[in-house]
Amino acid sequence: MVPYLFLGFAALLVATALMVILHRNPVTSALFLVLSFSSLAGIYLLLQAEFIGMVQIIVYAGASMVLFLFVIMYLNLQHDVEKGAQIALRRGIGWMVGALLLLFAGLLAKKGWVSGPVAALPPDTTGGNAAAIGRVLYSRFLFPFEITSILLLVAMVGAIVLAKGRPAPQGEAE
Amino acid sequence: MLAYLPVLLFVLVGLGFGAVTIGLSTIIVPRRENAVKNSAYECGVEPVGNARGRFSVKFYLVAVLFILFDIEAVFLYPWAVSFHQLGLYGLIEMVLFILILLAGYFYLLKKRALEWE
Amino acid sequence: MIPTEWALALSAVLFVIGVVGVLVRRNALVIFMSIELMLNAANLAFVAFARQQNSLDGQIFVFFVMTVAAAEVAVGLAIIVNLFRLRETVFVDEINLLKG
Repeated sequence: MVPYLFLGFAALLVATALMVILHRNPVTSALFLVLSFSSLAGIYLLLQAEFIGMVQIIVYAGASMVLFLFVIMYLNLQHDVEKGAQIALRRGIGWMVGALLLLFAGLLAKKGWVSGPVAALPPDTTGGNAAAIGRVLYSRFLFPFEITSILLLVAMVGAIVLAKGRPAPQGEAE
Repeated sequence: MLAYLPVLLFVLVGLGFGAVTIGLSTIIVPRRENAVKNSAYECGVEPVGNARGRFSVKFYLVAVLFILFDIEAVFLYPWAVSFHQLGLYGLIEMVLFILILLAGYFYLLKKRALEWE
Repeated sequence: MIPTEWALALSAVLFVIGVVGVLVRRNALVIFMSIELMLNAANLAFVAFARQQNSLDGQIFVFFVMTVAAAEVAVGLAIIVNLFRLRETVFVDEINLLKG
């Protein structure tokens, strides 16, 4: 059951991720990105990272995508025009680089990605995955956690300054 | 892993309900279209312009602040469920975290980022 | 039980899709979305290895990556909005001020 679910989510993930980069309309791309993040959340659940799966939905599929859609609506983008020899050439190069990267990954896979057996001692997950994460995050990873608040503060100030700092030079859209 | 079976069933039933209602109604509904019926309804007034007008940038600022405070809330979940093991130590570090973010909150209040003028 | 290799293969494919998206598209927003895909590919590898090692450190790292991604989205999209106000375009090949 679980491997089939994984394969299903994986197929959905790859298909929607491909649609993100292939579709001409950025709004459709963003909505496919929501779907791909949701299927990734399903994969996290299957990999026993329940809390990460839920955070994936709350932060990525929820908040991040709202932001993307607002920006797309604000910029009022229509379908992208992608014509011309130069663009076609760049597209060819892009896909070739992708194929090369996959080939490289395949070569690595032959050597074996995972070394050693699965560790014997499972982590202490009494009270669930979220509680276990909390115990580790707020003791051993205390310093990164406090730094995170500085990061969020900087992002907040940066976004406010960028969005509100000075009046638009060419007239604001209504 | 089997504990998630109800969630999966819920998702499947939800998807199925949407698919069945929309699918069935497109199959069995009678279609007699005309130009007036197909026009967009705008309180009886002739619709003017493109429906996909530009959004104001104010929405963007609210969304940005939402995402940053959303992250803050997400950090509170694991802290709340493991609070009893963390004790006073955990309380102090979380107060520190929230105080730093509160500085950002006062900054945006000062900048009037939340006012809708 | 899912083999760790499957998750890693999926992560590699997702990363390659993100790379191709960055190289192929010229819309800055879609490029940004592709970067998000690559970050998520890295997250998937972290979660897979965390399960392999039976340790929570990988999951906590994913948590931090998500925070950084959210901050990046907030500031990056603000930059794109400002760029659009200045140049009236989001196509990266038309934004070539440094090209002399």
